Amino acid sequence: MEILINAVTLGSLYLLFALGMSVAWGTIGILNFAHGSTFMFSAMVAYYTVQMVALPMWAMILLGAAVGMVLSVLTQALIFNFILRRNPDLLKAEMQIVVGGIGAASVLLAIAQHYTKSVPFGFSASTFKTTTYQLGAIHISNVQLVILVAAFGLAGLAAWWLKSARAGLALRAIGVNPEVASLMGVDRGRMALGTMAAAGALAGTAGILLTYYLGSIAAETGDSFLISAFAAIILGGIGSVIGVVVGSMILALAETLVVTQLSGTWASAVAFGLIFVVLLFLPRGIFGRKEVRRT
Amino acid sequence: MIGWYEANIVLIEATFLNFLLALSIQVPLRVGVFSFAGVGSYGLGAYTAAILTIRYDVPAFVAIGAAVVFAAVVGYLFSLIVARLNGLYLAMATIAFVLIISVLATNGGELTGGANGLYGALSDLTTGGVVAVCVVVAFLLALTERGPLRRRIEAVREDPELSMSMGIGVVTVRQLAFTVSGALGACAGAMNALLRTTVSPEEINFHLIVLALTMVIIGGSRSWMGAFIGAVIFTWLPSMLATTGRWQDVVYGLIIILAAIFMPTGLLGLVQSLYQKLRGRSRTAAPAEPPAEEAVEERAMLQALSGESKEGVR
Amino acid sequence: MTTTETAAPYVLEAEDVAVHYGGIKAVDGFGLRLPPGKIYGILGPNGSGKSTFLAAVTRLVPLTRGRLLLDGKEYHSEPPMKLARKGLARTFQTVRLLPELTVLQNVQLGADINDPRGRLRSWLGRDRPSEAVEEAIERTGLGDVRNAWPTELSYGMARRVEIARALAARPRLLLLDEPTAGMNHSERQEVSELMQKLRDEGLAQLIVEHDVQMMVDTCDHLVAMNFGSLVAEGSPQEVVSHPAVQEAYLGKRWRSHA
Repeated sequence: MEILINAVTLGSLYLLFALGMSVAWGTIGILNFAHGSTFMFSAMVAYYTVQMVALPMWAMILLGAAVGMVLSVLTQALIFNFILRRNPDLLKAEMQIVVGGIGAASVLLAIAQHYTKSVPFGFSASTFKTTTYQLGAIHISNVQLVILVAAFGLAGLAAWWLKSARAGLALRAIGVNPEVASLMGVDRGRMALGTMAAAGALAGTAGILLTYYLGSIAAETGDSFLISAFAAIILGGIGSVIGVVVGSMILALAETLVVTQLSGTWASAVAFGLIFVVLLFLPRGIFGRKEVRRT
Repeated sequence: MIGWYEANIVLIEATFLNFLLALSIQVPLRVGVFSFAGVGSYGLGAYTAAILTIRYDVPAFVAIGAAVVFAAVVGYLFSLIVARLNGLYLAMATIAFVLIISVLATNGGELTGGANGLYGALSDLTTGGVVAVCVVVAFLLALTERGPLRRRIEAVREDPELSMSMGIGVVTVRQLAFTVSGALGACAGAMNALLRTTVSPEEINFHLIVLALTMVIIGGSRSWMGAFIGAVIFTWLPSMLATTGRWQDVVYGLIIILAAIFMPTGLLGLVQSLYQKLRGRSRTAAPAEPPAEEAVEERAMLQALSGESKEGVR
Repeated sequence: MTTTETAAPYVLEAEDVAVHYGGIKAVDGFGLRLPPGKIYGILGPNGSGKSTFLAAVTRLVPLTRGRLLLDGKEYHSEPPMKLARKGLARTFQTVRLLPELTVLQNVQLGADINDPRGRLRSWLGRDRPSEAVEEAIERTGLGDVRNAWPTELSYGMARRVEIARALAARPRLLLLDEPTAGMNHSERQEVSELMQKLRDEGLAQLIVEHDVQMMVDTCDHLVAMNFGSLVAEGSPQEVVSHPAVQEAYLGKRWRSHA
């Protein structure tokens, strides 16, 4: 039971992290390699802030989300937009976007390593204190509860927004056919910026919550989360909210099982192995959209 | 000169090894395949050569040759597995391939030395040997950058469908690219393991992928010269940026970003287009667009269908 | 063109060809027979399946049903890259020149298929354009721009390079997908004349084109298609005055204007 709760918590963190990345990839076609660094950097900024002012948890989350949003918007406006402007064909620009994202990730990582000297940091200065509740046979901490509520709440919100809101519909239209969408009056640039802002905010939130949950994280934590997120996204199907939820949970469950049953050194192989197996046998993921054939 | 050479022997060797590593990413890129599998082959090659040298004390060329052949076969088999994948999906699968090799090395027990890796792979490989291999590789690749081979490679990358209708076996070309990429990556890995006499699983990580990719992107992805330029820059830049202290990695990242935005064809492409501009030809002219003459067409169609003569209306 | 005469009465035969995507029947039971030295044209409104048929003939899309024969030999289970060597060349609906090769090099790519023996020599030595390349460039009037880059060409010029590339392979059968789209009147005239000249030399051609007038002027035989099937067939005059064809074009046109 304990294992299951830990797995669901880990899955929820993957979900928070991967959700924005998946939606951005599935709609505006941007796979942001700096997502992991954005996530880590938000936690680091919050860490330095909390060292000066003892903030409560909700303020930390808001701060992390804000930093993530700003970083993500800057990445989009200063890097991806320039690349796309010089190379309007998204398929051909794909590789440059990956490289630009890697560059942004390196910059953020280098700044973080410079300040933290690669030493793990945590929020012990925050006013928030971890307590564990006992519900029958289940032990669950207040951090875990916040994570579960935040992850499922935000995923539900995203699913509802994409399905029902006018702007969400427009965003999905871009994902299906960018040209037609722009003919229908969808402002692609603004939609892209908005999507990246939301994705960044989610990453920032995930960064704060992960740090509370683990006690501390290091500058390099972002990279390993990035690979896990790929696995979760590909498993569930790119751009699908339910897909990310299911993908994150399956990944977290598999990793937790491997760690407890086998050994820690095999855990990272789970994500890579899943990526591989899914791409080979289920290339569109569990909930992936079928490729639209255009002639 | 001799003093400089001896003081920098490690960097000089690293330049050539990085050159081969960069080529293992560049070869598939040139045919439009976004694959990092060459970095995995680097690991395969390093371990194969180290194991053969430590256990059987074979000469360097045997160890390297065996590593190259083994990784080439793995590369070919890998290409069969990922045959259906394209673009970013393929890139992801190859990243997974690289990291799985690293995990396998960590968990390989006695054979791979576990997390500590292998030590004491002493061999007779010299710097001259490394340079000789690189020269041969560069010469062979240069042959693919001219004449009919270049035309075929351009066609496969830019337009696979067109290539098929021109009689080019696109699938075969891609499989070949994976095989050659495996051989090149393994060659770099094997020689690195033998020169350093050690190999460890930490070497085969995401950062090696990033290094290999950035060398190619910044140097230029179309020619072996681009890979060489990238290898020189990224082997020597860190020691030159040492004056900037701990900020060198930030400068590094900024260079990558600027290259992604402003130099899609790399430094080599930049130099080439400048040269062409000097010779008075620009390749950046607006691409040919079909003129909008729907209306004219329509009128002609109506005329033809309604049986009027061409001069009837005009 | 140096074409060897064969016993088969038709260069291309397509029988009962069908291409279905899921539930969509892009081509459904269409066929034609193209004898040597003739120009056949396929007429049909947008979405009638004519481009899909061309893709099926060149094996770029799989057949759901039907047979394809080149010079009397079945080829509908062969991969697309085998067709070039059998003498089939095509142009595409959009300009598909390789941007990093010059006009000459783009045309040379077409001829490479016929040069398997000299290959090693041309890897090492100088890469002189073959006779077929020179001839293709001359016939399409590209001599002045042979060293230009594709991006420097006008749209009509770029289309001519496509035709030159196909001709450089010295095909037995040439498929042209809207070869004159985007050309001005005199350029269309030139292409039409070139096609007729090639026909007189024995080259079989199949053309898909929007410009009905050009089709009537150029083709020996027209086939009209709609909804993936045959609507009418015969001499150009017969086909354009056929009621079903008039309906397919004019009916649709007028509706879209209303």
